[in-house]
Amino acid sequence: MVSPVLLIVVPLGLAFAIPLFGFISKRIVKYIPIAAFAFNLAVALLLIPEVLKHPIVVRIGGFPPPFGINLVAGPVGVLFSVLIAVAGLLVAIYALTYIKEGSKEKYHMLYLLLLTGATGVVLTGDIFNLFVFFEILCISSYALVAYIGDRAGIESAIKYLIQGAVGSSFLLIGIGLLYGLFGTLNMADLAQHIESASPISVFVPMVLIITGLGIEAAIFPLNAWLPDAHSSAPSSISAILSGIAIEVGLYAVVRVIFTIFGVSSIFMFLVFLGILTLLIGEMCAFSQKNIKRMLAYSSIGQIGLIVFAMAMATSLAVTGGLFQLVSHTLGKSLLFLAVGYMIYRSGSMEISSLEGMGKRMPLTSLAFTIGAFSIVGLPPFVGFPSKFLIVQAALAKEAVLFTGLIGLVLLGTVIEGAYFFRVVQALYFKKGNGDSERNEAPVTGLIPMFIFVTLIIVIGIYPKLLTDVLNSAASEFLNRIDYIRSVIG
Amino acid sequence: MTFLHDYIYYIGAFGLIFIGLFIMLVKHNLIKVIIGLSILETGVNLFLIAVGYISKGTAPIFSNSAVESERMVDPVPQALVLTAIVIGVAVLALALSLAIRLYHHYGVLDLRKIKEQRW
Repeated sequence: MVSPVLLIVVPLGLAFAIPLFGFISKRIVKYIPIAAFAFNLAVALLLIPEVLKHPIVVRIGGFPPPFGINLVAGPVGVLFSVLIAVAGLLVAIYALTYIKEGSKEKYHMLYLLLLTGATGVVLTGDIFNLFVFFEILCISSYALVAYIGDRAGIESAIKYLIQGAVGSSFLLIGIGLLYGLFGTLNMADLAQHIESASPISVFVPMVLIITGLGIEAAIFPLNAWLPDAHSSAPSSISAILSGIAIEVGLYAVVRVIFTIFGVSSIFMFLVFLGILTLLIGEMCAFSQKNIKRMLAYSSIGQIGLIVFAMAMATSLAVTGGLFQLVSHTLGKSLLFLAVGYMIYRSGSMEISSLEGMGKRMPLTSLAFTIGAFSIVGLPPFVGFPSKFLIVQAALAKEAVLFTGLIGLVLLGTVIEGAYFFRVVQALYFKKGNGDSERNEAPVTGLIPMFIFVTLIIVIGIYPKLLTDVLNSAASEFLNRIDYIRSVIG
Repeated sequence: MTFLHDYIYYIGAFGLIFIGLFIMLVKHNLIKVIIGLSILETGVNLFLIAVGYISKGTAPIFSNSAVESERMVDPVPQALVLTAIVIGVAVLALALSLAIRLYHHYGVLDLRKIKEQRW
């Protein structure tokens, strides 16, 4: 039997071993992330059948919960681990040739640390440990946003750092208040005790924790850092930040609300926050001329959609939200990877400079088009079943309010379609000025893109592949009693 | 006065937290903002210590039978603070090194003059 600890230990160990490998040979350094995430992917896939039967609780140091730190590899944790390993592996392959300048050892080390932090957040069962892994994720992403070292990168990194650090401080104050109230840090134990406390005393830590985590998840009033950071980072990092980092932040928010606090009165507020995030993200994306900023704002919109779905809190809606999360990771990572080489070839991030790319880089343009269609939600791609599930869940609520809100969601989708189709039109139907010579992305760039394309199409045609995992993940979120029982025993 | 006496650590901790937040919100110089961040983190650390502190308490050493368990200070918040201090050092170091790079690019640290990135 494989242990979920390996998912954290192996990438963390390899990350700190990278400088040592650098002494042996500078050329093997860039293959280490690939090895680490191939290993993680294999371990996570092996864990799936076991976890679907019963969640695995790992007691670190042998202390039974609530005393030691424990890892909980439930369906949610393993679903996210698989997602992180897939995206990490493919983006690491892409980075083989994409990252040319700067200190490569530092890049690959920080990259491994970022994704280790993400895996730790989704697997841990201890709220302070969640904070620590979250900080690993955040600090490495601040550094990676500034990796190129140009004006825009440094400026957005410092913006991201200051907002993120305030968020982490709020999170820590919230954790301190919870510890003061209950004298425990174990999430299951906290969940068990939370009902005995008065609602007012629980409300303050809840607000602090949700605000702190909401900054990383880029929920509407807290998302000012996102478009800058995502657009000035190297494209491989943008793919990870958009595809993994904000999703992990969202996971933490959902975990705290559903499992620890288990409050239903906040859901309506989150529904409106989600709709607001969706509409503002999509409208800002529509007005952008810079392609990477457009994709970053589109990520905000998608996060809003996922928050909306999660906050409906029915089993169908949470399944839809998780499915949308998977499809956003696949689609948005693909878009950023494709855009990376287009920007590299055209030398500019303006949408107008991408005109005629359909002739110059046909395969990359095809990958971009498929990613865009999937994010918008066109049928054979994975975005369609996920959005369909959310619409279905909202209609199943049989309330006038939700029917109206789903109309707003569809309006957001129309705006999304408008700006994505504008880019696709520029790629194929406009004549570019300058050379029209064919100049395709290198093979190491195309392989990860087309693996993403394959995943998008295969899951889009057979959404049943994921049904089991998604359903049990949704029920892990919704049945907090089962979660407490499986951890405390 | 007993309120002040009982809660003095909490008052001090939240005082530092609000001073830090105020500096971060009001000041325009990046170095001052980073100093505000540092004060905010110090306040959070003090708050965590205050959560576990007992007046005139000692270290929790159970093999020493002279100390009763009611007099022992909770060691968990202190372990948390150690971790939080290390994280705070990393964040501050990164922030300061980014400030140096920002100064190389712009020649100023005034945040009102550094705004090329906009909505």
